[in-house]
Amino acid sequence: MERRVVITAGSVITPIGHVKDEIIQNLINGVSGVKALRKDDLLANYIHSNVFGTVDYPIEYDFKRSHRKTMGPVAYYACQVVKEILKQAALDDDFISSGRLGVSFGSTHGSPTVQRDMYRNFFSGSQDQFSSVSAVDYLKSMVHTTAVNITKMFGITGRLISSSTACTTSSQSIGLGYEMVKYGMQDAMICGGADEYDTTTVAVFDNLLACSTAFNDTPHLTPRPFEVRRDGLVVGEGGGAVLLEEYERAKKRGTNIMAEIIGFSCNNNGGNLILPDVEGTKETLRLGLKSAKIRADEVDFISAHATGTKMGDVIEAQAIHSIYDNSPYITSLKSYMGHTMGTCGVIEMVLTLYMMEKGFIAPTLNLNEIDKRCAMIRHVTELCESDIRVAAIQNFAFGGVNTCLIMKKI
Amino acid sequence: MQLTRREILNDLIRIFRENFEIDNPGTDDDLREEYEFDSIDAIELLVEIEKMVGFALTQEEKKQAMDIRTLDQVCDYIENLAATRD
Repeated sequence: MERRVVITAGSVITPIGHVKDEIIQNLINGVSGVKALRKDDLLANYIHSNVFGTVDYPIEYDFKRSHRKTMGPVAYYACQVVKEILKQAALDDDFISSGRLGVSFGSTHGSPTVQRDMYRNFFSGSQDQFSSVSAVDYLKSMVHTTAVNITKMFGITGRLISSSTACTTSSQSIGLGYEMVKYGMQDAMICGGADEYDTTTVAVFDNLLACSTAFNDTPHLTPRPFEVRRDGLVVGEGGGAVLLEEYERAKKRGTNIMAEIIGFSCNNNGGNLILPDVEGTKETLRLGLKSAKIRADEVDFISAHATGTKMGDVIEAQAIHSIYDNSPYITSLKSYMGHTMGTCGVIEMVLTLYMMEKGFIAPTLNLNEIDKRCAMIRHVTELCESDIRVAAIQNFAFGGVNTCLIMKKI
Repeated sequence: MQLTRREILNDLIRIFRENFEIDNPGTDDDLREEYEFDSIDAIELLVEIEKMVGFALTQEEKKQAMDIRTLDQVCDYIENLAATRD
């Protein structure tokens, strides 16, 4: 049995905003959410890259203490966006706890903030016999903390999946949730990801010489995906969630349908854990189209992974050109906010849904002079009106994990 | 440790307010029923009790605390700890 799967709600917390209208305005006006790296007393002073995709605006959380006590910063993002999609979708309480609604949600590595505090305690040399690890530290920091804090807060009893595949965390979460509904194992899935502010992630990419360092005094001018002066990625933070429902059920409820997911692919390069791989990437795109049962020329828009690294952008451009020729419009939404790590897939999906609804395509920011090696695809360099009917969301991760999600307006 | 029961109670009321956002619980209130005070909270409270009494609790002593339901019972528990150690 194969069932149709639709997206009926979406919410994101991003460096360019939290409220839908604000995000759309920032996309239209070319506003970047990349700012100076926040100072900490740990690594910030030693990192060469001094830029970050920052969520620096207040978010009004009103979670009860009984929920807050097991939540690190990453779970706050996760629970907030899920709270918002449940409100949008107006699912009834009986369904939420029926076992037919599941959760597929992850983060790159739980809550590094809480983990850091735990290890600081371990390595502080303190002789305080009472400063043991807190009973809740693990619950706050564990790798599936987002998913289970969501189930706890909202009383969800269905399947639980918690992907943690770095930059494909949320795109894989959506894809696996899609398959749950498509094949009848659940009637709806809450899917997404979150990642909190964390300088250790910046340090990892900084050490690998993959972070942007040349624009520390002008953060809004980086990252520069596909551009000749790009010098690396910018790490960011955020959260995002979508609600996937079986089509007939959504139609019967009369709920708003944002788009239908028609395809998902996920594969592995089967080799190097860091370097991009053109053959693996091409295979993902090919498998995505095969899953969606459409031709390449039916895709109007691709949200590229395009982080702004030297090689990653070239490999992705080559893969897109090989599969799609120069047919679809291409934008890197990371140019607005940096790379929000495990969250990027869901954020890029929701922002694409906004563009589909409003009939425009935001250009890749800072794309003043396209790198010749990336020039063979159809870059969007200026804001344009466009009716996106079919869109693909591509994401690639450390570990050689690749995903492609394809969605269609209905 | 030479805390009076009143001092213990006052200290506990402070801990409940500061650590668990529970204001002035009644001494006979069922903490679980009234305030969603669960086993995770109990473990956190034991760390505070260790600081209060000034010594680390044994595993056995900690297990004995898991059935406690009211503030009065927490006071009894702390008084018994102190008596056992004196």
